[in-house]
Amino acid sequence: MKTSKQTTSKKAAPLLVQLGIYTVILFVANAISSLFPASFPVPAPVIGLILLYLLLTFHIIKLEWVDSVGSFLIGIIGFLFVPSGISLAANLKIMQQQGWQLILVIALSTIILLVVIAYTAKFFIWCRQEIKQLAAKPHTKSLNTLHGLKMSVNQHAKGGE
Amino acid sequence: MSVIFTTPFFGICLSVVVYLIGQWLFKKSHGLFFFQPLFVAMVLGIVILVVLAALLGKSTASFYTTAYKPGGDLIFWFLNPATIAFAIPLYKRNDIIKKYWVEILAALIVGSVISLTAIVGVSKLIGLSKTAIESLLPQAATTAIALPISASIGGNSAVTAMACILNAVIIYALGDWLVKTFRLNSDPIGAGLGLGTSGHTIGSAYALKLGSVQGSMAAIAVVVIGVVIDLIVPIFSKLIF
Repeated sequence: MKTSKQTTSKKAAPLLVQLGIYTVILFVANAISSLFPASFPVPAPVIGLILLYLLLTFHIIKLEWVDSVGSFLIGIIGFLFVPSGISLAANLKIMQQQGWQLILVIALSTIILLVVIAYTAKFFIWCRQEIKQLAAKPHTKSLNTLHGLKMSVNQHAKGGE
Repeated sequence: MSVIFTTPFFGICLSVVVYLIGQWLFKKSHGLFFFQPLFVAMVLGIVILVVLAALLGKSTASFYTTAYKPGGDLIFWFLNPATIAFAIPLYKRNDIIKKYWVEILAALIVGSVISLTAIVGVSKLIGLSKTAIESLLPQAATTAIALPISASIGGNSAVTAMACILNAVIIYALGDWLVKTFRLNSDPIGAGLGLGTSGHTIGSAYALKLGSVQGSMAAIAVVVIGVVIDLIVPIFSKLIF
């Protein structure tokens, strides 16, 4: 923790350079976004996210060139979302017309999306482990090895907390 | 009197002040979910706009557009670079993506089809109109994807925007309680994907607080779900009506 903090603060690119990278990526992403048809919208920030990810993965951009500004922006994202929340003031009529049913369905949908996606992922990861275990069975006779394999997969999935 | 409300300064100032009040209340109440800063800022901001509009004798919607939106849009713009910044947590956990990309893609595609079916079922049970249901179908995608899709399948994009915003506020405010109640932290990959899908970018910021795996999974969910919604919602809306 201490060492990673030191290295990022040592090499962190100047603020203006970091902002420059973000704005160039946004500009290019916006240009790419305009190429998509109206029936298949892919917004500029999503394309920008993919672009920055690829630039980082292929080591074209170094982490310390974008890290501190990125962490700052993610850190204040709750505040950045305030105007969106307040924009509901323009739609108060819809709430009056459709009332509590709409709000209730939106709240339930949020929970449905969260829980269904989370458990679907859990199921698929469980499937992978089962398949791995089945594949490992002919080679490893002892239950201990199987248990160890499962543990290591679990540990890997839980890593980084 | 109304002249002072025509510059961006009012919108920026109001956003900052209501959010700071929210943070102060959240701290004073020792983290009571009801005083979650974003939620407080949203409610307080709307109440202030409604009161000011009434005092000036204007409709809330027109007062919002002329007085708040110029400043609000300036802050809103910074969500663009903030969304891009989620490439960083994604990159930092490239190991998980390389190992589990098949499961991640499968879970997001299968999970969104199951979720959409469940959402349509719940909507019909509660008795929402066809237009309302169509407006709610693309809500798992970020606003910029959900709004045009909603309009193209015959929904009301204002309702869609409201759904996307409320999703994020609900996840940010009730995240702790939801994760605990549904025991989501037993599987960090699933928790991250779920939070990113349901809470979009804001959900990803919350997921990142839980851990680096959750944060990176939420970021990948925001991207993949956008494309999945682009592809399946138009087909889905034709199948159910």
